[in-house]
Amino acid sequence: MANKIYEWIDNRTGLNKLLKTALDEPVHGGARWTYIFGSGLIFLFMLQAITGIVMASFYSPSSTTAWGSVYYIQEQTSFGWFVRGVHHFGSSAMMILAIVHFFQVFIYGAYKKPRELNWITGVFLLIFLMGFGLTGYLLPWDQKGYWATQVATNIMGTIPVIGEYIKVLHQGGSDYGNFTLTRFFTLHVFILPISLVFFLFVHVALFRKHGVTPHWKISEKLLKERVDPFWPDQVFKDIVFAMILYAILAGWVFWKGGAELQAPADPASNYLARPEWYFLFLFQLLKYCQGNLLIVGTVIIPMIGLIFLFVLPFIDRTPSNSPSKRIPFFATISSGMAGAIALTVLAMHHDAHDIHIIHQREDAEIQAARAVILAKKGIHPEGGMSIFLNDPIYLGEKIFKQNCNGCHKLKGIGGDNAPDFTNFGSREWLFGLLKNPKDKKYFGESGVMSPVKLPEESLRDITEFLLSQSGNLLNTSTDSLERGKELTLKGNCAICHPIGDKNAIKIAPNLTDYLSEEWLKEFIKNPDDKKFYGTKNKMPGYEGKLSANELDALVKYLISLSNDHLLVSECVLHEKRLTVSENSQQTCNKLLNSFDLKMQESVKNVGAVSFLTPSIHFGILTEKYLFASK
Amino acid sequence: MEKSRRSFLKIISNILGGTLAAGILAPIIGLIIHPWLKETVYGTEDFIGIGKLDDFPVGIPKKVTVTSSKMDAWNIFEGLVMGSVWVIRQKDDSLKVFSTNCPHLGCGIDWINDVSRFLCPCHEGVFDVNGKTISGPAPRDMYSYRTKVENNTVFIDYKNIT
Repeated sequence: MANKIYEWIDNRTGLNKLLKTALDEPVHGGARWTYIFGSGLIFLFMLQAITGIVMASFYSPSSTTAWGSVYYIQEQTSFGWFVRGVHHFGSSAMMILAIVHFFQVFIYGAYKKPRELNWITGVFLLIFLMGFGLTGYLLPWDQKGYWATQVATNIMGTIPVIGEYIKVLHQGGSDYGNFTLTRFFTLHVFILPISLVFFLFVHVALFRKHGVTPHWKISEKLLKERVDPFWPDQVFKDIVFAMILYAILAGWVFWKGGAELQAPADPASNYLARPEWYFLFLFQLLKYCQGNLLIVGTVIIPMIGLIFLFVLPFIDRTPSNSPSKRIPFFATISSGMAGAIALTVLAMHHDAHDIHIIHQREDAEIQAARAVILAKKGIHPEGGMSIFLNDPIYLGEKIFKQNCNGCHKLKGIGGDNAPDFTNFGSREWLFGLLKNPKDKKYFGESGVMSPVKLPEESLRDITEFLLSQSGNLLNTSTDSLERGKELTLKGNCAICHPIGDKNAIKIAPNLTDYLSEEWLKEFIKNPDDKKFYGTKNKMPGYEGKLSANELDALVKYLISLSNDHLLVSECVLHEKRLTVSENSQQTCNKLLNSFDLKMQESVKNVGAVSFLTPSIHFGILTEKYLFASK
Repeated sequence: MEKSRRSFLKIISNILGGTLAAGILAPIIGLIIHPWLKETVYGTEDFIGIGKLDDFPVGIPKKVTVTSSKMDAWNIFEGLVMGSVWVIRQKDDSLKVFSTNCPHLGCGIDWINDVSRFLCPCHEGVFDVNGKTISGPAPRDMYSYRTKVENNTVFIDYKNIT
């Protein structure tokens, strides 16, 4: 039956002949492992096409929806992270393989007459490949893609006379917006693929016409004697290579946990942009070409490089393919490549040692993780950034940077006049403070409290007890807490610090509900209150300087600085759709019970979310209560 | 010898090629069928709050607009008007909630206070205060919703009409 159908089709299309032409191509000199790179590239291109098409069925190219749709692919589908990962790292794999292929062709002298057009179409393919990388980077509309692509479009703008026009044409306007995405999307999924397929077709057809260029040491005689058919001899090798490529790629995607998705693009932020690794050398080059010289780095040097590649087959007319006969050309290409590698290494080395870049990367990761948590509640139609607008932590961070960072250092940035807030409120932080309050990291010489001279174990118990006062400590150990309570209340602490009565006054800060939201708020408002530092205080009070919302946001941000606490607002999101990790789930439940009464009071006062069932209103409530009722 | 080597290579190539294709297509298909595996567009609440119990007068139907939020893939749309309902608070504070759509052809039903009857103006369907069909072409009584009251707030099960 199948044979008959095949015959029927073959009679009308000549399919059989076509397949034979495609597969029975003779490989002179025999099938070889050295010929696998070109077909490897075609395999990777097909993989990019398949993964790209599937993702296009989820993706939405507009400045308000792009990030959300990529987030959805990444976080809400079962295989999206993997498919996106293959696509993302697949582009790097193509670039590496393209470079290998390029060098192989160069070393074998496969660009020489009569294969000039093979080479030129190949150079075009390489340019298209870079175009794919450039346009694809922007599509998620996250911080990294947004800012890195800004650099690229600004480079376009430096081209004399026509630069600005070209830039506006690519951006779809004078600034980034919806049309930037629709245009980059159109380039990435229509124009570049169509161009690439066309040039690939010509490239392969010409390759078929001229056949492989064997190693220069293979004799003419062998070339004539040994002829293998393309199928299965060479195809087998190509398939094995494709399998290896896919295995490496999939392994890499698993190891990396998929491609990165940073927080939604924020045009107001000052993000230090870095392009994808294969553009780093150009990026680094620009550092040396400043002012009037900028155009040298953006246009002139890249142009010279490209022109050299295009004319190479015409200027290298040596009849021999042997590298020893082509030394000037080897020297040129090698020094170009060495330069590119050196620039790339310099750029990477610089970034790996630049503390600002390191911190920005850390912050970007934290913000990306936070964006994903917030996005799970749904992204408002205003776009990706809207997830932060109602986010206390985001606002709190801004307030901290404006008001507190001058004295309180955080992750290496900020002043030294007050305790370092890196990991503020964590077990490590408080343990360190108890151990030596006069450490530079805490109160320094101005510290009045003397170190607590107890064994480490006991210090940890006291830490546990003190931190548990906040009511939102994660993973508390009851035993340790009880021991700590005993030590604190019966030991020396309670001589200076009141604990248990909120309004009691002694010579040192009252530690009742220590580091709870309420305690922090009271403290920040009036640190010179008698129940806190009193006359020993050096910190300015913020009563009247921060609004209730701002104070609340700041306190939430401070609590979020340690991993040992749980933010109330993160407890319950929509119960069905979301999972909080088991540990925090337990703490959440505890919190829910203890706060439920308070919350119901709030509902009465605000009435904003009164229609929500009690089990779900809590999480939304804290946000809405505080931020919708401004 | 050469021929059997090639036949063997062909078989192996086909097996390897098939395995590779399967390895690539499995996650691709898994992603394509995502809408089978997970709801992509849904209301975020099963029970929707429609107001305070105290706001409903006893015995007299009150028309209320039902608003809720909807998840559409990554987006959340809040405050969407889903429709409206008639709410009647009974003497024992239990509630009856009816759809405002006539069970005949879906026209909007009005409450006529003078005669204490629901009236569908399209084909003169008449219903009593309990939603029971009294006259007209309606094939059944008015559609109703399950309700619950928590913390003085009235919720209706808007998804399941009965």
